[in-house]
Amino acid sequence: MAPPSSTRHALVVEDDDDIRSLLVHTLNREGFTVSEAPSGTRAVELVQTLDPELITLDVQLPGLDGLEVCRQLREYSNAYVVMISARSTEIDKLAGLEAGADDYLSKPFSTRELRARVAALFRRPRDLVTDSTELERAVEVQRGLLPEASPDLPGYEVAASFRPSQAVGGDLYDWHVSSGQLHVILADVMGKGMGAAMIAAAVRSAFRTVGNMPGLTSAFNHAAQSLGGALESSDSYATVFKVRLNPANGRFSYVDAGHGIAAIVGPDGSTRRLEPGGPPVGLWVEVPWVAQRADLNPGESLILVSDGVLDAVGDLEGTFTAMSQAVLAHRTVQDVADHLARLAQDDPEHDDVTAVVVHRHPDVPGKDHR
Amino acid sequence: MQVTVERHDTYTEVRGEGRLNMAAAPKLKDVISSEISAGSRQIVVDLSATEFMDSSGLGALIGCLKMARQAGGDLRISQVPPQVLMVLQLTSMDRVLTPYPDSASAFSRA
Repeated sequence: MAPPSSTRHALVVEDDDDIRSLLVHTLNREGFTVSEAPSGTRAVELVQTLDPELITLDVQLPGLDGLEVCRQLREYSNAYVVMISARSTEIDKLAGLEAGADDYLSKPFSTRELRARVAALFRRPRDLVTDSTELERAVEVQRGLLPEASPDLPGYEVAASFRPSQAVGGDLYDWHVSSGQLHVILADVMGKGMGAAMIAAAVRSAFRTVGNMPGLTSAFNHAAQSLGGALESSDSYATVFKVRLNPANGRFSYVDAGHGIAAIVGPDGSTRRLEPGGPPVGLWVEVPWVAQRADLNPGESLILVSDGVLDAVGDLEGTFTAMSQAVLAHRTVQDVADHLARLAQDDPEHDDVTAVVVHRHPDVPGKDHR
Repeated sequence: MQVTVERHDTYTEVRGEGRLNMAAAPKLKDVISSEISAGSRQIVVDLSATEFMDSSGLGALIGCLKMARQAGGDLRISQVPPQVLMVLQLTSMDRVLTPYPDSASAFSRA
């Protein structure tokens, strides 16, 4: 989602306070926005959320050492990595480069040499350019898969708000009207980033395919079965909340596959939780999912949020309270969704965040009030 | 996350300290996988010091449970903090991974 920015971000991973300050100062002067991590564990977390272009990495760190950090972050980061270490034998350097470092500096190092080496790395833009183009394309594709506007359904309004933690994410939502029924889905694929986004696209497609199959229970199990193998072989799974609503009377059937955070909120802010009902798709396949029934009465809103909202709020009760407050505080359905998705904005390590709201207009059901 | 292992007479206790998230998940799986390879069949994951578990962390736990069962053993969890319990309940995985009050009791009534 973030547009390509002109400021370059660097992450300094170093447990020695003095050396860390020196590195931060040096890179600041080179025009980098610099973040710091005093440990390997912290570094791995920050690389995921900050996605820096440059990382200086001390090898001897407490806990997770620099080599291990490098191997882990190479699974999702294409940053230039400069290892800095007091170990200076050929073997050490080879181990560092093999773990995924681009350059290796021995301590004590001169800041001048560091600056020169960083400049040299950035002189060759290598595949960074391709990567950012690819990523922008992926963002477009993921956006393209999301429904654009509220479906044309008299008496109802649907809105969503989506904030991926990275440029693309593993949350997805979808809705469409088919055979006179409103279909809505919110799914959350394990993990973040491009891999999760690709699986999310597969999940969307599998559930679209069974849209017209009669009976939500059999449709859901059919889609889940078609996805199960792919999810398991990619070591992933997805929580899914799927709704089929009859607009004439507001009656709907739903399957909650490990999602667990859905409620109906009345115009007075009262909430009725929709009880969770089964394991996520692809995680544990033993019993089939069974659709449950509920009613959306005039004036009520069905609200689904992803666990990014739950993480930001802290507990379930607070999340349902937040849903209630959102409904009371806002007039448009879009504002309610935006309010909920914004709850996670202050958390720099937030997961993908999605909120979907299906609102049934008050008054006579089935009439067009717009 | 720091993962430590303590082998007891009848079970192996694995303790995860810190955040069990996307970054820590592979580590937990590695540790438990090598314990299973080394012959452990009854594994208890002590979660008392696990501050937070996300979807990747849950994926790792269930992955480890599958590994243990495939090897003819089992994996159980003990001292589960509220946030972790909430994730297990939301995903109905508390039916599969039953929380035990402490590691010693996890396999005592097996």
